[in-house]
Amino acid sequence: MAKTIDVIANLTGIVWQVDVAAGDRVAEDDPIITLESMKMEIPVCAPEDGEVVEILVGKDDPVEEGQVIARLSAA
Amino acid sequence: MDHEQRKAHALAMGGEKKLAQRKAAGILNARERMALLFDNGQFHEAGLFATSERPEHREKTPADAKVVGFGQIGGRNGAAVSNDLTVMGASSSTVNGRKIAYAKDIATRNGMPLVFLGESSGGRIPDNMGARGMGASAWDAHQYVRTRETPWASAVLGPCFGSSAWYTCLADFAVMRKGGTLAVASPKVTSKAIGQDISEEELGGWQMHQQYSGLIDQVVDTDEEAIEAIRTFLSYMPSNANEAPPTVGARAPATAPAKLNELVPVDRARVYNMARVIEAVVDGGSFFEMKRKFAPNLLTGLARIDGRSVGIIANNPMQKGGAVDYDACDKAISFIVLCDSFHIPIVMLVDQPGFLVGLQGERRGMPGKIMSNIQALQMASVPKISVVLRKTYGAAFVNMGGGRNSDEFALWDRAEVSFMDPGIAVGIALGVDHEKEPERYEALKAQLNADSSPYEIAGMFSAQAVIQPHETRDYIASSLAIHTRAISGGKGKRLLSVWPYR
Repeated sequence: MAKTIDVIANLTGIVWQVDVAAGDRVAEDDPIITLESMKMEIPVCAPEDGEVVEILVGKDDPVEEGQVIARLSAA
Repeated sequence: MDHEQRKAHALAMGGEKKLAQRKAAGILNARERMALLFDNGQFHEAGLFATSERPEHREKTPADAKVVGFGQIGGRNGAAVSNDLTVMGASSSTVNGRKIAYAKDIATRNGMPLVFLGESSGGRIPDNMGARGMGASAWDAHQYVRTRETPWASAVLGPCFGSSAWYTCLADFAVMRKGGTLAVASPKVTSKAIGQDISEEELGGWQMHQQYSGLIDQVVDTDEEAIEAIRTFLSYMPSNANEAPPTVGARAPATAPAKLNELVPVDRARVYNMARVIEAVVDGGSFFEMKRKFAPNLLTGLARIDGRSVGIIANNPMQKGGAVDYDACDKAISFIVLCDSFHIPIVMLVDQPGFLVGLQGERRGMPGKIMSNIQALQMASVPKISVVLRKTYGAAFVNMGGGRNSDEFALWDRAEVSFMDPGIAVGIALGVDHEKEPERYEALKAQLNADSSPYEIAGMFSAQAVIQPHETRDYIASSLAIHTRAISGGKGKRLLSVWPYR
């Protein structure tokens, strides 16, 4: 079974947009969601290459630093 | 044994079988690593005939598990200690402790860098056990003193517990080969002590260190790459603190400076990768990044501009919007200490929305860390050049070299500088709600935007220049040519050379 990778928010903010959908293939550093924080649009990126299994947040949701916002399965 | 037999025995390390196992795994042995580090594979060895002091261990401790030598690294003198894991796990003993002390002393007296090729299991149990063992092991009051007279570099090339871990943490540059481990104690000892099963990777593997501990500056795949990284690191460094760093021929940047205009979005809410910007500022291929994955919201690394060694500190908007947080302050401090200790000018590329505020930082003592960062920057006496690309807000203005915290402070013509983002200031400081009074909110924001102009700060001469993006590299190169510290032979005061870091 492919390894599951947690995508973790590295700062606190509000989800401004979700950039990918379940089933999408992503590469390391591709944006998964974009947070509005510090008056900026800041991406939370894929830590590794993989396929998006699920997105755990939606637009306008508050997100805390350290929160898992999506899961990938390793490429 | 006659002399030749003794010599052959010492050079045979832990024996054919152990050496063959390493070779099969693609791992170099202690002497192969020394040969790769030094030019032409040549080194002048000290202590080939050293062995354990304990009679029962003498036969099985060739060179007492730590090979010490001196030779040329990139055409300049250097010293090295290479741990031989095939001999009693390269464990620390009374005699090999003397060998390390000797290497440190000779490297310092003669002004040459010192390299540790680390792979050791920790203290040797018979030598270190009991009250007498501990008493003997703590006999040197200067064992872990660092005053940075010469650069130190360390490679983690296997298990590093005990001395290999300590010296890696004391070094100015640390590289780790994937598969190496660095921790206080081995997983076996740790798991036993706290009753929790922990793998070697979790405890002290490359992913842990590069992302969380910040103890490792670079991660590589092979021994060869690790040793090459050390040679490259040293190429930016002076041999010792009584010299200025070496200068090499200038190279054109990998990306044309004219591209800077498009690499940085004008809209301050949009992010971009600062690493691409650095490529349009420094000599092509010269950016030697350190701690890439640790606090990636702040980039640090050595580079060259017009052939001169520089230290780059740059906010990276792609991560956390480039906001400086606790780990970024730590990363900046250790890098400023390195630069100040060895006369390397600091170049800051600034684009930051203020310190990252929030619970996480405050719980760790963020205000204290901010002050340590500012103190380090203000105490650094090397030339400091700071260029604001797009924006710099709040107290982090100082941390990134704003005003007289640099020898030259410049801003791009479209940059903004203020106490806080105008959008936040209207809402918080002036108490105007965008929902209730949209027109007044926008009018006040426009006024604050105008007040944030680079020409305002240049008008009061708290900035020395306003430049266009494509002029950035030439401006920095021209500044470095002026701020040479020629009065002291290109050297600073090194006030940070005794600052403990990592």
